[in-house]
Amino acid sequence: MSPLAEVRTAYREELKALEDQALAGVEMASHSLERTLEAIEHQDIELASMVIADDDRIDGRYLEVHQGILSLLARQAPVATDLRLVAALLHLIRHVERMGDQCVNICKLLPLEGHEPPRNDEMLGKILAMGRQVIAQMKHARLAFSHRDMELAEDLVRQDDVVDKLNREVFRTAIEIGDDVEMREWGMHMVLVARALERMGDMTVDIGEHTAFVVTGLFREFQDASHPELERPAGFARGTPDG
Amino acid sequence: MPDAQTEVDKTSEPAQAGRDGGKFERKAQAVSVTAGLRPDVDGGRVPDDLAREAVFRLQNVSVHYGSNPAVKDISMNIHEREITALIGPSGCGKSTLLRTLNRMNDLIPSARVEGEVAYHDQDLYARDIDPVQVRKLIGMVFQKPNPFPKSIYDNIAFGPRVLGMKGDMDEIVESALRRAALWDEVKDRLKENAFGMSGGQQQRLCIARSIAVSPDVILMDEPCSALDPISTGRIEDLMLELKEQYSIVIVTHNMQQAARVSDRTAFLIVDLDADEKNRWGRLVEYDRTEQIFTNPQDKRTEDYVTGKVG
Repeated sequence: MSPLAEVRTAYREELKALEDQALAGVEMASHSLERTLEAIEHQDIELASMVIADDDRIDGRYLEVHQGILSLLARQAPVATDLRLVAALLHLIRHVERMGDQCVNICKLLPLEGHEPPRNDEMLGKILAMGRQVIAQMKHARLAFSHRDMELAEDLVRQDDVVDKLNREVFRTAIEIGDDVEMREWGMHMVLVARALERMGDMTVDIGEHTAFVVTGLFREFQDASHPELERPAGFARGTPDG
Repeated sequence: MPDAQTEVDKTSEPAQAGRDGGKFERKAQAVSVTAGLRPDVDGGRVPDDLAREAVFRLQNVSVHYGSNPAVKDISMNIHEREITALIGPSGCGKSTLLRTLNRMNDLIPSARVEGEVAYHDQDLYARDIDPVQVRKLIGMVFQKPNPFPKSIYDNIAFGPRVLGMKGDMDEIVESALRRAALWDEVKDRLKENAFGMSGGQQQRLCIARSIAVSPDVILMDEPCSALDPISTGRIEDLMLELKEQYSIVIVTHNMQQAARVSDRTAFLIVDLDADEKNRWGRLVEYDRTEQIFTNPQDKRTEDYVTGKVG
């Protein structure tokens, strides 16, 4: 054994397993969103109710990881990078749980629209595009975190601009959707759906920010919503446009 | 890890190796459902994981030195192939309790053990039990590494020779050193004096020495208190490997060590009688380690593990 041989292997394995569990939670939420989009597209109430029921699995994952982190903190007293990772995982798994809840929120809206509500194809297209963009961001956030990839993490801000733009467009379309009461009601629901998707997009950016925190030890928001006029903090490279 | 051939045959009738063929032996017995339901602490909750067989069952165990009680009324089960940690402030009787598990208290003339200490359902303190056989099956590692002033090889071979164990001694020595994760460091200097090793290596040698006689249980009394953090980490890694094969009970002053390595933790406190003349140890809480360190059920445990009192 060399003097620098690795010790505390069991602890390292435990920490790695927790991270894998949490990141697999992001995949669970992503899967939930895929089904949610399908339910929206086809006004599939049955599928929506399955999404709602399956959210228990995501909640269960949240509790599992949360308990695992408490136990790890209490027993192994992680420090330095390990401590940052554990703190970041607590945020990450909370986002997973919230993303699952947003899918549930969307799915609960669908039955309110009735069996065959009037729909505006342009608006529906934007909603679905938003959803697909968020799914892509969830994947990128997961990869950025697991590979500790700062560039990919920072690029989430640029990617999320797409979601924000679509969100504003959905809002505008809702205003201009016309006088038909049922159509307006559907439009209002879609504004709420867009809002939920926009929140999920923000959460992926936050996972990116926590990736940076794990890597650098500094926590800075990539984008400050309360001071949008300020430049993005120095030190974080802008993502490549094709990332 | 050693390959199958070099491994000491743990099943080879330990009774034969005993000094006078004592009846003491390891028995594998399934725990009956009712036995499993016995609370680990009087009036306490029954922890999960009843499937694991108990190596030791303690019922109302008290130890006195002369007329002074050291620990009183301890009831708990210690489970097979787990690491059980005993923690608590100085003078709470952790070491005394540990020493009752392999009859080390016999060596103190004034010591008296009351209550029931069952090892795999045999009464550990029955008259016909051979203490030498007990200590072969239930080995002990002490606070300060205490190698014999002999070569590394002879340190390991000593126990098997005294006990007349059969088999190739070279293989027994190699197997024990491998299992203690020490072989690669010492294989080229087996004939050198053990005192030339570092403290951490000496402690692993002592662990290897206890393994060499193929025990069932290893008791550790503050095994890392004289070691630096890296050596401590190695011993802890070693413990986690060894628990696949052995049951380990460890006394430690280092609460964080109990938290890191053990599966279950028992917390003892010091009790005083009314005129504060006598003090003795008492078991307060015994549970899965995760529970003890995230959500202890007793306020006294909470105060101790959070460092409010000590």
